[in-house]
Amino acid sequence: MPSNTASSSSAPAGSADSSASRTKSKRPKYSKFTQQELPACKPILTPGWVILTFLVISVIFIPLGVVSLFASQDVVEIVDRYDNDCVPTPARANKVAYIQGVSDKSCNRTLVVPKKMKQPIYVYYQLENFYQNHRRYVKSRSDSQLRSVKDENQIDACKPEDDVNGRPIVPCGLIAWSLFNDTYALSKNNQPLTVNKRGIAWKSDREHKFGKNVFPKNFQEGNITGGGRLDANKSLSEQEDLIVWMRTAALPTFRKLYGKIESDLEKGDTIHVTLLNNYNTYSFDGKKKLVLSTTSWLGGKNDFLGIAYLTVGGICFFLALVFTIMYLVKPRRLGDPTYLSWNRVPGGGR
Amino acid sequence: MIQAAHVGIGISGMEGMQAVMASDFAIAQFRFLTDLLLVHGRWSYLRICKVVMYFFYKNLTFTLTQFWFTFRTGFSGQRFYDDWFQSLYNVFFTALPVIVLGLFEKDVSASLSKRYPELYREGIRNSFFKWRVVAVWATSAVYQSLVCYLFVTTSSFGAINSSGKIFGLWDVSTLVFTCLVIAVNVRILLMSNSITRWHYITVGGSILAWLVFAFVYCGITTSRDRNENVYFVIYVLMSTFYFYFTLLLVPAVSLLGDFIYQGVERWFFPYDYQIVQEIHRHESDATKADHLEIENELTPQEARSYAISQLPRELSKHTGFAFDSPGYESFFASQLGVYAPQKAWDVARRASMRSRPKVPKK
Repeated sequence: MPSNTASSSSAPAGSADSSASRTKSKRPKYSKFTQQELPACKPILTPGWVILTFLVISVIFIPLGVVSLFASQDVVEIVDRYDNDCVPTPARANKVAYIQGVSDKSCNRTLVVPKKMKQPIYVYYQLENFYQNHRRYVKSRSDSQLRSVKDENQIDACKPEDDVNGRPIVPCGLIAWSLFNDTYALSKNNQPLTVNKRGIAWKSDREHKFGKNVFPKNFQEGNITGGGRLDANKSLSEQEDLIVWMRTAALPTFRKLYGKIESDLEKGDTIHVTLLNNYNTYSFDGKKKLVLSTTSWLGGKNDFLGIAYLTVGGICFFLALVFTIMYLVKPRRLGDPTYLSWNRVPGGGR
Repeated sequence: MIQAAHVGIGISGMEGMQAVMASDFAIAQFRFLTDLLLVHGRWSYLRICKVVMYFFYKNLTFTLTQFWFTFRTGFSGQRFYDDWFQSLYNVFFTALPVIVLGLFEKDVSASLSKRYPELYREGIRNSFFKWRVVAVWATSAVYQSLVCYLFVTTSSFGAINSSGKIFGLWDVSTLVFTCLVIAVNVRILLMSNSITRWHYITVGGSILAWLVFAFVYCGITTSRDRNENVYFVIYVLMSTFYFYFTLLLVPAVSLLGDFIYQGVERWFFPYDYQIVQEIHRHESDATKADHLEIENELTPQEARSYAISQLPRELSKHTGFAFDSPGYESFFASQLGVYAPQKAWDVARRASMRSRPKVPKK
């Protein structure tokens, strides 16, 4: 006869063994966690809460949107595409041959300032259809080589731009090899505008990623020149153009900081740009643009954030109104048992 | 003999443990069957559906952001996120909240589940895991991935702070990743019917774990770093106002779609459990009532009958066997004042019984 100890300890009182409160109980130790009785918040998304949430969101987002949009509207930006116009007319039939040739590539452009621009004014070059985010391109670099001299020979990932006749290239890789090398000389009313090229790279890059003792070696000495050359006497941490270029961009349309102008520009000023159109974007239908832009505390001209905030805030406000109207027109009493599926349709429901 | 069933339930008791050993679930008393089916079975179905849907959703969102990115990399296969971020996404940054959801999710309390047994029909009708439900979650994942990806990549095009500097690939992707982790974790709170403190701890903790990991990972360089290292990226990001503006906008817009859907669904197409929740929304958490009544506390009637049974009373020696019972003989004998000796086999039988007598043996 098996014992009945399994159930005897938990039998209700009144039976013969109720004095089993003194026998050992097999019931597991009670805790709120194991019995799933933790105090819990049971939110019910009533129409009141929905409307309230929408109103709160619109109240927060609309001012933020206004603030962002004002910041963005304050920014003055001049964009000038020059890659087509800077190829002289006779050479336009074969731009690739022109750019790869040795003729004089200087070009004069004129920009007009639409609104007063307060210093510092940032000069960018913008490239389009240039895939700096291509997989083979992004991995073609050697960060350890950039940081210290003793890792000079860590060039495995840099193929095909890893060495020249057995001597390692510093900095190796396709990213460095394709360094952008158009230059811009700006002047206003025949007075040259100095473009400060220091401080254009992120400080963390300058100080940690690119070593102070690493100097360019064997750079651009191969058969194919991919881009600019580097001064072999300047350490990599001072080569800010290289540092900026090597922070690979996320999308095929990007701009990179070239320098900054530290004087104001008045409305209506004419800026003359003497640029050297060295960089070959013609083989792949890329575009080159010169950009002058001021910044605000939120950055450059970027209406997107402001418009997004305003749109979302507006949509939420509109939805709050719609829900209020729906609530008034077609109310459903909270907890109305007639909505239970077994009360609505015999045997039916979801 | 039952040859096939959906689930086998064994009751352990006087007939032994054989049923228990052969069953999927074992209970101690027959009346626990209602709880097993109506309470725990229902909750279990609800929890499994939610956990599975959430898993698909969070991975779909995450993967789709990378998918949208491939359109802009010339289809070269460049990864959007750093390797460690990707690997630890499912391990650290989004794992715990869904476990807590699976442990504690309750649509209605246990006592209400028993009071409305028709709620069980939702499981029979498979209302939480139909293709339609899957389609809704998948659409939500596509929408959220588009929001996270497009909002960040479109707005991070130009300079992003007052010093005119530009973001690189890893800055943008880390920002998208942060928005994604926040949106996907807060989604748990939106889909829970009962939110305990562990929900808050795990959701907040996962987001915090991501930030702490980013701080540590982006703060150290070793000689064995791969060439796409994300050194200092999170600090660069956090030094701009743009980061905080985006961090407020993107998760809010991602979750707005789900919020609207839930609001409309509860209003116009409510599930049964939602109606039950609303009917009983003002009742407090009667945790004692939910408990299976296996405590030793007695109702007043039970206490009285127990006390009465403790009083010394005459034990009937009548065993039901006619003409051959020691009880019968000794009872009538004692009435007539005649001595009748105890039968040996009866003495042996009574001695082998293990129960303690309520009153001391006369």
